[in-house]
Formats: sequence, C-alpha cells, structure tokens
Amino acid sequence: MSEILKLRNISKTFPGVLALQNISFDLSEGEVHCLCGENGAGKSTLIKILSGAYQPDEGGEIIFDGRKVVLNPHLAIRMGIQTIYQEHVVFENLNIVENIFTGSEIARRGLLQKREMRKQTVEVLKYLKSDLNPDMKMGELSSGEQKTVEIAKGLVFKRRVIILDEPTASFSSVEIDNLLDIIQTVKSSGLGIIYISHHLEEVFKVGDRVTVLRDGRKVSMYDLDGLTKTTLIKDMVGRDPSTFYQRESVPIGNVVFETRNVTGNGAQNISFILRRGEILGIAGMTGSGRSELMNVLFGSAPLDFGEILIHGKIVKHSSPKAAIKNKMCFITEDRQNTGLFLPQTIAQNVTVANLVNTREFVVREADDSRIGDRFVKLLKIKTNDSRSRVVNLSGGNQQKVVLAKWFNTNGDIFIFDEPTLGIDVGSKQEIYKVMVDLLKQGKAIIMVSSDMPEVISMSDRVIIMKSGEKVAELSADEVSEENILTYSIGDKAI
Amino acid sequence: MTGDEAADQKKLARGSLFKRHENLTVLAIFIGFVVIIVLLQLIMWGGHKFPTFITPVNLLNILQQVGVPGIVAVGMTIVMISGGIDLSVGMLASLVSIVTALGISKWHLGIGLSILAGVMSAVVLESLMGYIISRTKVEPFLVTLGGMITFQGIALLLCNSREVIMKGELDFFKLNLIQGAKDPVTGLNLIIPPYVLIFFVIALLAGLLLNYTKYGRRIYAVGTNPHAAYLAGINVKNMKLSVYIIMGFLVGIGGVMLLSRINTGIITLGQGLEIDSIAMVVIGGTALKGGKGNIVGTLIGVFFLGSIGNAMNMLRLPSEVQFVAKGLVVIIAVSAGDVSARVSGFISRRKELRWRAAQPVAKAG
Repeated sequence: MSEILKLRNISKTFPGVLALQNISFDLSEGEVHCLCGENGAGKSTLIKILSGAYQPDEGGEIIFDGRKVVLNPHLAIRMGIQTIYQEHVVFENLNIVENIFTGSEIARRGLLQKREMRKQTVEVLKYLKSDLNPDMKMGELSSGEQKTVEIAKGLVFKRRVIILDEPTASFSSVEIDNLLDIIQTVKSSGLGIIYISHHLEEVFKVGDRVTVLRDGRKVSMYDLDGLTKTTLIKDMVGRDPSTFYQRESVPIGNVVFETRNVTGNGAQNISFILRRGEILGIAGMTGSGRSELMNVLFGSAPLDFGEILIHGKIVKHSSPKAAIKNKMCFITEDRQNTGLFLPQTIAQNVTVANLVNTREFVVREADDSRIGDRFVKLLKIKTNDSRSRVVNLSGGNQQKVVLAKWFNTNGDIFIFDEPTLGIDVGSKQEIYKVMVDLLKQGKAIIMVSSDMPEVISMSDRVIIMKSGEKVAELSADEVSEENILTYSIGDKAI
Repeated sequence: MTGDEAADQKKLARGSLFKRHENLTVLAIFIGFVVIIVLLQLIMWGGHKFPTFITPVNLLNILQQVGVPGIVAVGMTIVMISGGIDLSVGMLASLVSIVTALGISKWHLGIGLSILAGVMSAVVLESLMGYIISRTKVEPFLVTLGGMITFQGIALLLCNSREVIMKGELDFFKLNLIQGAKDPVTGLNLIIPPYVLIFFVIALLAGLLLNYTKYGRRIYAVGTNPHAAYLAGINVKNMKLSVYIIMGFLVGIGGVMLLSRINTGIITLGQGLEIDSIAMVVIGGTALKGGKGNIVGTLIGVFFLGSIGNAMNMLRLPSEVQFVAKGLVVIIAVSAGDVSARVSGFISRRKELRWRAAQPVAKAG
C-alpha cells in the first residue's frame, strides 16, 4: 500500500482561537482512516484544510503523492480529493447523471454526450451494486441514496481520496449497512477514505486506522484491529481543567416543568423534570434531536404525543405565543436567523417578544429605549446606546440582546440552545454569570450544549440524547466527560 | 429628571422625523426631489410672466392627481414592509369601480350600499389572496399576479365588457372644500376635493399605526425575520393576512374615488395603479424584501412621482417620453437609496467601532 496523502505539522489559528495544533495525518491507498473527537475537537477544520477551503498556518505541509502542494478548492478536486459534506450539496431537480456531471460535462464541440455520461454512471452504480435508476431526480432519493450518488461521482472521476463527514446522520440502520458495504467496495478499488463519525460502531466496522483529536490536538493514532471502545473514549476525553467554569451553587426548589413521553419532530418518548434553581443540561452529538425536542417544548414544532406540565398543570403549546404566555423563553441556537432582527435597533429587539404580554395597543419609543438602555447596562452590552442596530454588534453582544429580549418577557423557564456558540471567552463567562443570576431569582434552565466543559461545569443534572431518544440521565456526581461521551456515542449497553 | 435623561429626551425629540440614519435614504431622495422641483421651476419660468410649476393652483392639481394612487401606495407600504407585494391593486380598483357603478345605476342599491358593496368586494378578494399567501409558501408576487388576471375577468364579466355610466351620483366626492379661494398669483380657482383630504387622513393614520402601535412593531418584525418573529410569539400568519385586508379596504376607497372622478365604471380605470403605487413606495425607501420603510418616505415618493408627471405634462412631453422618464426616475431613485443606505451603514458602523475603541479594554475571563 502506498501513501497518497501526508499531513505534517498542520496548525490553524483563527483570531483568538487555536483550532488545530501540529497535526500529522497519513492516508494510504485502499485504507479507511477514521477521525474521532468530540464536537469542536477540530475535525471539521482539518477537513476544510484537506478540501482546500482553509489554508494551514505557516510551517504546515501537505504532501500529495510525494509532492508538496498548496491546496485550494479547485486544485483539491483536480488532484482527486473529494469531500462529501454532511449536508447534501445537490441539484434536486436534476437527475443522477446530471448531478454527477454538472460542472464537468462530457461534451464534443459544445454538444453534451448524454449517452456516454449515462453509460459511465450506469457502470459505476453497477460496480457499487446499487440498483438506482440513473434517470431519477436527485430530490426523489433518500439521503442514503444521495450519498451513494456522491460516492459514485468520486469513482466516475477516478478520485484518489474521498472524505466523508458524518455521512450517516439521519440514516436508517439499513442505509447505514448499505453505505458501509459501498465503502468496502470503494476501498478495494484503491481509493483512500477519510471517515468522520460520531458513531463508534461504524468506526469499528469500516475503519482500518483511527486518529483521535481533542481540543485541536492529535491525541493518538491506532490500528482498529484489537482496539477497544473504552480506550478510544478515554482518549477523546480529558480536558484541560482551565477550560471549566466554577459555578456558584444555588438552592434547588420544587418542580416547575415536566415532560412525559414527549414525542414529535424527531424526539421520542422524552420524560424529565426540571426544578426551580436548577440547570438541566442536555448533551448529545449533533443530530441527536436535542434542538428538535426544544422546538416541541416551545410550541414551534408539533407535539405528536405525550404531555408537557408547567407547575403541575398540563399545557398545550400550539405556538410559541402560547409558550411565552406560560412564561417560557427560548434562546435559539442560531441567533442571527431565529433570534434577532438584525437591521433593527437593540431597543426594538429587546421589546419584541414581550408584545404578547403587553395590553396597550400604542407603544412608545421612549419606553422602548428606556427598557433597552436598562438591559444594555444590566448585561453590559458594549454599545453606545440602545438605538444602535444589532447587526453592528459582536457575537457575544448579540447573544446578550437575545437574552435581554427574553428577560424582558419576565419568563420563568428558560431554554438555552447552545448559549455560547461562537462567542469569545470573556462574553462566555458573562453569560454563565447571567445564567446563575437567573437561578438565584428562582428561574429554571434547560441547557442544550455541545460544549463539553460547559455542560459539565454548568449543569446540575445532565440528560443524554441519541437518535432522538433519551439514553441516560446523570446526576451531578455522575457527570463526567467520559460518562457523557460513552452514552452519546457508544452503544446504549455500555 | 437627571441630566442624562434630559439629554436622552432631547435626542429622542430630534430623532423623531428623520430618525438618525434610519431615514437618510429618504432624506437623500427628498433633497433630490427639491433640487428637481427647483430645476423644473427654472425651466418653466423662462420667458413667462408667472412661474407655472410652483403655484398654489398647480400644487393642488398635483395633489388631485396623486390622491388615489397615494391611498393605494399607503396600503402598498404596509404590505411591502411585511415582506409582501400586491400586483392586483389596479384591476381590483377597476373591479371596485364597476361594482359600485353597477350598484348605483343598475342594481339600484342606493349610494351608501353600493359604495359598501364596492369596498367589501375588494376586502373579501384581498382577504382570499392574503389567506393563500399566509397559509402557503406561494410567493405573494405570483398569488397577486393571478389575482390581477382573475379580478380583471370578474370585472369584465360583471359589466359584460362595457362601461357602466352613472349620472353623477358620487359628485359629492368632487366638492371643493375651499370654495371661492383664489390663487393669488394667477387668479384661478383653487380646488381641494374630499379625496385629497381622505388621502392625508389615511396616510396619517397609517403612519401612526406603523410607528406607534404594537401592530406596527409586529409588521416590521415579520418583514425583517419571519422565523424569529414566530419564535417571539407573533402570529405571523395572521399578521400577513391582516395587511392584505387593510390593502383591500384602501383599494376599495381608492376605487370609489376613481369612479367619482369620471362618473363611469370602466376596466381601464385602475390600469397601471399597481405600477405607480409600487414605484412610489420604492422611491420612498421601502425595501422589496420587507422590514424597512415608512409612510414619510412613501409620501415623498407619491409627491415625487406626481410632480414629475405633472411637470412633464406642462412641458408638453409626449406620453411615450413620459414613460421612459418615469421609469428612469424609479431606477435612479432606488439606486440613490442604495448608495445612501451604504453610506449610512458605514457611518453607523464607524460610530460603533469608534465607541468601542474608546472603551477601556474589557478583561477577558
């Protein structure tokens, strides 16, 4: 087996963040090399460097077929590195053949050679033992079938390396097996495959070697033969204690919120309770159905089955409006698209959610500005006054505006979905402090987070979700990185 | 009141008409407008005894011409701020005029009931479109395009493709509110018909609604970011529906006013009304993608387009040339709006950055 790809000393810094540090990585022909690590360990950054989307810092070397190269997205594809991202980048209205060839059509004197393109597609699909009809529209295929087409594309163009980023998210188990079979076939034809997955079962089934990343560093590299899951998980955890936040403890009161067998929007059979003064952490890997569950609780996605209780009374949240009236607040994950009105002022953003609770038909700008200014001071939003536009603020300050919007509704039950996503360290600490202040006022918090130190240092209890189900509930003294990771990526049985 | 608060109040008072950079776009257009008016005035003054363009009688003339498009433009502003658009208003106004005229001269419903029938037909039809727009993901552009064609058909069916002539039953809408007033310059009669007044009242009410009410806030929120608005507890669907109902009401009034001016219900009455009103609204700085705009801007747009048309008539330009000129005016005004929006964005960003730089460095962690 000869080596196709070699990475040496790859580092990548973003302003204020060291995303990758001195990574080395090898890939041989006919090999499946897996990448493992928690959310934010640096897997995506590494892929982006391989696909040419990011340039590594000075000193890093990428060696392809024995030659040192500087990659850009076009060059990477020309040299035969194909990245298949988690989200499908497909033309839904075009058929399989057209999807494969768009951008590199076979043509003679400007005329498309449709028969030739179809022939090549059919050959590859046959080789992959797929029974897909090449004339089907891409939009009609399941996500598993779409992955197959993308892999087929790699074979048609004789790529050397295929990178699969979380390929099995939203797959059925049959589809997973199919995909793993296809990968075995592709591997035997001499391609190198880089496989990224949260699912350790898949890693063990399909992989030859595995590299573990943690906090942007390479921790270890193993042959998967004879390796145990426990070793792998141990390597993935074990963070620097300085990344943890020391939280004040707050006395915990009676139950304010409860779910019984809540099912809907991908979440299945979720039951939990939430007490006054408590932070309930919801951990799990991306795609485990956590945000989906939060939308059900807040009424922005339908509840198919089950009950939601607030202060012991069953409530029906047909819309977010109803949830807000029941004193719930929802700080969404994607603040720019679902939390803020970017072109509007801070004051307008802060007052908008409370419109539900106000009786007056007339609103006064002076009142809004006063409320806005109060929160600017309270949350230390860095701006000159509350009439500045939100679009000009930094991420941390925008997040504070979202918080202010909900504080202004005077809610009791807060859902924080990724409260500190993309926020600098200083603002992070401030937001944690604000969360603890909420607890002191007798509020309760449900916190969805993929940031492991955040989950561990902030939560009083942690629920772990996997594939839409609650797989474990850990009390404060059971909460550890290892436990959380074991439940969220390992077999349920561990 | 502490000094700080007093300063705040002062800032607020100063910001009310042209709120900071918010209306810089509109301000730029307004200045352009004034410059053009002065130019036209100079051109037309040449050689004559009196200035012809800026005279009381001609200004009132312009008001009469823009009254009805202005009423519709006010509705269009609300619809566009919410992120929608309405192409059907022209044909709907024609339909209203035909229904009302039929009610008076053929169905003998009496004047009040006929007007009600006309206005209600517009409200009902707009509600239907609003219902489809708010409950499905179909583009408002397409729904109202279909509406435009459908309404034309309904109107033609109702009147058998003929015009419906009345005997001046609606002439009270043409009364002169300032009977006997004379232009001090030219000595001509000054005329302000009621519908000009109605236009101003509607514009005022709409301005108050958008600026000072909960409803107005929600319209802006829905237009800016419907998903965030939904999560903030706003019933986005009903908000979208409501703006079309308002639109229907205003088109109904506009259609009746048009009818009163020429006493004949006819399909061509509302022709081009959608184009004119959308042009007026976008000249006034309202964004096609929603969330941005205001009535002050629209009023400027209304007078702007009206004055241009009027001036070109006075210059005796053929109508073909007028179309070209009007179209160019729209394009120039909108481009100017974009330029000034960039400038204002740049200024506010710089102000923000400067302010941030002036702050003591916050200790991280």
